[in-house]
Amino acid sequence: MKVTAVIINLLYFLALAPFLEGVMRKVTARIQSRQGPPLYQPYLDLLKLLGKENLNAAGHPVFRLAPLLAFASVLSAVALLPLAGQSSFLAHSSDLMTLIYFLTLSGFFILIGALASGNPFAGVGASREMMTIIMLEPVLAMTLILGVVRAGSLNLLAATGGVSSARGLSYFLMMAVYLVALQAFVSRQPFDIPEAEVEILEGPYIEYSGPNYALFRYTLNLKRMFYSWLFVAGFLGFWLPGSPVLNLAIQTVLILVLFVLISVVGATHPRFRMDQALKFYAVLVLLSLVAVGLGVRGW
Amino acid sequence: MWLWNKIKQLAISFRAGMVTLHYPFEPRPAPEGFRGQPVWDHTKCIGCAGCASHCPARTIFLRDICQELRILLYDSSRCTYCGRCADLCPEKAITMSDKFELATDNRQDITQSLELFMMTCQRCGRCYDLEIKNYIDRLSSLGYRYDSLEARKVIRRSTADFSPEELEKTVTYERPGRLEK
Amino acid sequence: MSRKEELVRWLEKELDGNFISAEATIPGRLFIDLKREALSAAATGLMNRGARYQVGVGYDARKSGQGFGLVHTFAFDKDSLLVALRTFAPEDDPEFDSLTPLIPGAGWSEREYQDLLGLRFRNHPNPRRLVLSDDWPEGIYPLRREVPHDLMPPAAEEVAFRLEEAPPGTSIVPLGPFHASLHEPAHFSVYVDGEDIKGCEYRGFMTHRGIEKLAQTELTYNDVPFVAERICGICGSVHSVNYAQAVEAAAGLRIPRRAEFIRMVALELERLHSHLLWLGVAGHLIGFDTVFMQAWRIREKIMWLAERLTGNRKTYGMVIIGGVRRDINQDRSEDIRAVLKEVEREMLALEKAILKDRTIHKRTRGVGYLSREEAVKWNLIGPVARARGVDMDARRDHPYAAYDEVQFEVPLADSGDVWGTLVVRVKEVYEAIKIINQCLDKLEKLPKNEPLSVDLEGPIPAGRQGLSLVEAPRGEAVHYVLTGEENRPERWRVRAPTYPNLQAVPSMLLNNKLADFPIIVGSIDPCISCTDRVLVVERRSGKARLLSGQELENLSRGKRSKK
Ligand code: SF4
Ligand code: SF4
Repeated sequence: MKVTAVIINLLYFLALAPFLEGVMRKVTARIQSRQGPPLYQPYLDLLKLLGKENLNAAGHPVFRLAPLLAFASVLSAVALLPLAGQSSFLAHSSDLMTLIYFLTLSGFFILIGALASGNPFAGVGASREMMTIIMLEPVLAMTLILGVVRAGSLNLLAATGGVSSARGLSYFLMMAVYLVALQAFVSRQPFDIPEAEVEILEGPYIEYSGPNYALFRYTLNLKRMFYSWLFVAGFLGFWLPGSPVLNLAIQTVLILVLFVLISVVGATHPRFRMDQALKFYAVLVLLSLVAVGLGVRGW
Repeated sequence: MWLWNKIKQLAISFRAGMVTLHYPFEPRPAPEGFRGQPVWDHTKCIGCAGCASHCPARTIFLRDICQELRILLYDSSRCTYCGRCADLCPEKAITMSDKFELATDNRQDITQSLELFMMTCQRCGRCYDLEIKNYIDRLSSLGYRYDSLEARKVIRRSTADFSPEELEKTVTYERPGRLEK
Repeated sequence: MSRKEELVRWLEKELDGNFISAEATIPGRLFIDLKREALSAAATGLMNRGARYQVGVGYDARKSGQGFGLVHTFAFDKDSLLVALRTFAPEDDPEFDSLTPLIPGAGWSEREYQDLLGLRFRNHPNPRRLVLSDDWPEGIYPLRREVPHDLMPPAAEEVAFRLEEAPPGTSIVPLGPFHASLHEPAHFSVYVDGEDIKGCEYRGFMTHRGIEKLAQTELTYNDVPFVAERICGICGSVHSVNYAQAVEAAAGLRIPRRAEFIRMVALELERLHSHLLWLGVAGHLIGFDTVFMQAWRIREKIMWLAERLTGNRKTYGMVIIGGVRRDINQDRSEDIRAVLKEVEREMLALEKAILKDRTIHKRTRGVGYLSREEAVKWNLIGPVARARGVDMDARRDHPYAAYDEVQFEVPLADSGDVWGTLVVRVKEVYEAIKIINQCLDKLEKLPKNEPLSVDLEGPIPAGRQGLSLVEAPRGEAVHYVLTGEENRPERWRVRAPTYPNLQAVPSMLLNNKLADFPIIVGSIDPCISCTDRVLVVERRSGKARLLSGQELENLSRGKRSKK
């Protein structure tokens, strides 16, 4: 029974993640007065990519393995999640650190793949990606740590629930910080710097094609969904009704709403430069530290 | 301030609504006077070669097969749809249609060719006068035409500076050396 | 004493026996013939008197026994005067003094004729190959008479342009030959240190189509406008009008007033849609795709209007020598007014929304800075110069068509950066609308059935010079025509506005971030194919050759291993 819960976790994420990209594209298109592609377009894109030839431009095994590993690590992270307010089967053999570890690992494999491709644009993209990870991973960690502080346990369910257990100053501050950082987590404007199409041509992914690229795309979709799920489960988790099915339904709706919001912000901003963004991120990290501090004081 | 600005931007977008069409599922008719693919009316054409001489893209060709038979061939693949041919045709045998979806993988689809039966003029052997007053236009009338229909090439005998030897020579020109590694 | 007389008198005195003749064909033009020895002295004199260098034109005059001709043109913007200095060099010694040490903006013109005509320039600081492809054989000069226009020498394998080594401490990011932010092929090899740009080398001219040569060997006077229109995908009418004006000036033809106003309407419509296009592209380049789409949505109204007016959304095909082809009648003029009103309303809203957007300021202010002095030194033109406080506009300074009969402002900015070009272009949109409305007023007052074009009385005599300017959306475009025999120009030279502006891009890039590269290059609104227009299809390989997937892979791998 418990194993099915993990499978549900995986299926839920795998099925919904491309759809969210579709939502994002549709909303963006509407803001740009376009019809936009149909909502199921990302599924078609993935299918199409899966049917294409895999060009190993770098001729390096790492280059070939990186997408697989990145995909695997993000799936592992997803498997751990206490979806719909239910503790995962794997909960007793994992905790918060495992989750952060898997997430960072998937980012790491993207970097490795980019560097292995040897393309100068991928190199620039990788260095930008790296800076983003270094600056923003703390925000994610602090959010969860706030939950840990509240709940007094490293257990994932407790920690995510802990974030919204008391809605004081620290909660609202952290929520604001997370919302801004979310834009960078899902890499939309103004923070889509590592992939900036017109500058560095999708950066880390430039040399990838076919199924390998599809895996990266899927990885990104899953990651983006994860970050918004975390927002919904963490900050908005306090008023879930309790029945798992209803929980899941409400979470899904909230995630959709969140994606609409992200798309609107993304469509109304230009891209920042790395140096401008870094200043921004620095402030975010500081604020998240402050929020944790406030949380420790019990505010 | 920032938020207000963003709301204004969104307002612009939403006021405009959705403007893209469902093209190609929803056709967009060309307006009146559109310059699409030219269409020849073989009943009107007198084979005067006015269009061929003035086509800036040189994509109308004429070849006199014999004294009585003249072929006119129009190859749309190089056409710029300028409408010069339609303007200059003294018989108004050419109309600029509203066809613009001309992409094809077969050149024959966009080629038009007319076989024109010519009458022989008793005096000059060719009955044709460019009915255009413009000297610029009149200057380049060519008389008999032997364009290469196969190569789709206008054969001009008037290019004074053209030298076939020069063209031939280039094949044996010395090339810059390879870059040393 | 007017500037013209003063110049002629001074040249006569100063150059003494080296001065041959001066001819003033139409008001505002002065064609001077000199001996070759006096060229740099005369150019120095003109520059000291405040002239602005425009372009060099080389041509093959061997048929008339004069060897090779070289024309340098200069503009006196304050006095509405264009001066062309012409010199000749004999066939066996085609060497001229280089003007580049004196005028950096002359560098490209001279290198061009070094490639195309085999001229030599004494003391040129950087006499490298510019126009011809790297595997073009030595010793064939495509602009010479004996070379046929469709000459296509077989390609040489493995010949590549030798880009310079990156300075120590930097690495090269190759932006080009194909790059998403350059919409046409051009190669910037950018030296970066981290994300800071420390320098850059440019290799362009990859899209020559041989248009000038074609006009000089194959086409006739009245064919050329339609080909000229295809020099540029955005400002086609600029080139066809410009060419027609040059020929008309050479032939002494005065076109009907109705035609003049219709040409102006076409030109200003082009400016409108070009600036909106730029605004959109600029938005895209800084990652703001909503600006991109919205600007283009507004632009689309103008495109559809143009389609109704001229029969095509882009290549208007309106211009022939002596006038225009289609009329703007009452109905159409009402149509235009209605569309313009809507565009103006939408534009005001868009302007408010984006000019006040702090996030856009962040990406454009202080980016791509160039001082006024440098702008003058590099002969920058158009909005790029006006954003640096250089007050110039060919429509006002050298009025053509009927621009002297309409009122408009020339917007300026002094910030010297990308932001300045943005502001200038947005303001110019309103000026263009103003001009079109005035033209329509005038058109409505003119007699209805005036002919749209005039015919020539006879063939155009050979050997006459015509020089014409049109203020294109990107800056002034210059066309030089020397009339010839066989009903076609002997020499037709096009200088697109990007030609001088592009030469200054490396200095704009210096010390900016790599992320700003797209918007800085974009800020001059580069039109690579206009700039590259000249001659001979440059092809890597004359023969079509199919590469298998494996071969391609090997190729890209090979490139990588070299790096
Ligand atoms: S439309 Fe223009 S290019 Fe086409 S055939 Fe007619 S004259 Fe030639
Ligand atoms: S100009 Fe008209 S009549 Fe003359 S050949 Fe062409 S189509 Fe026929």
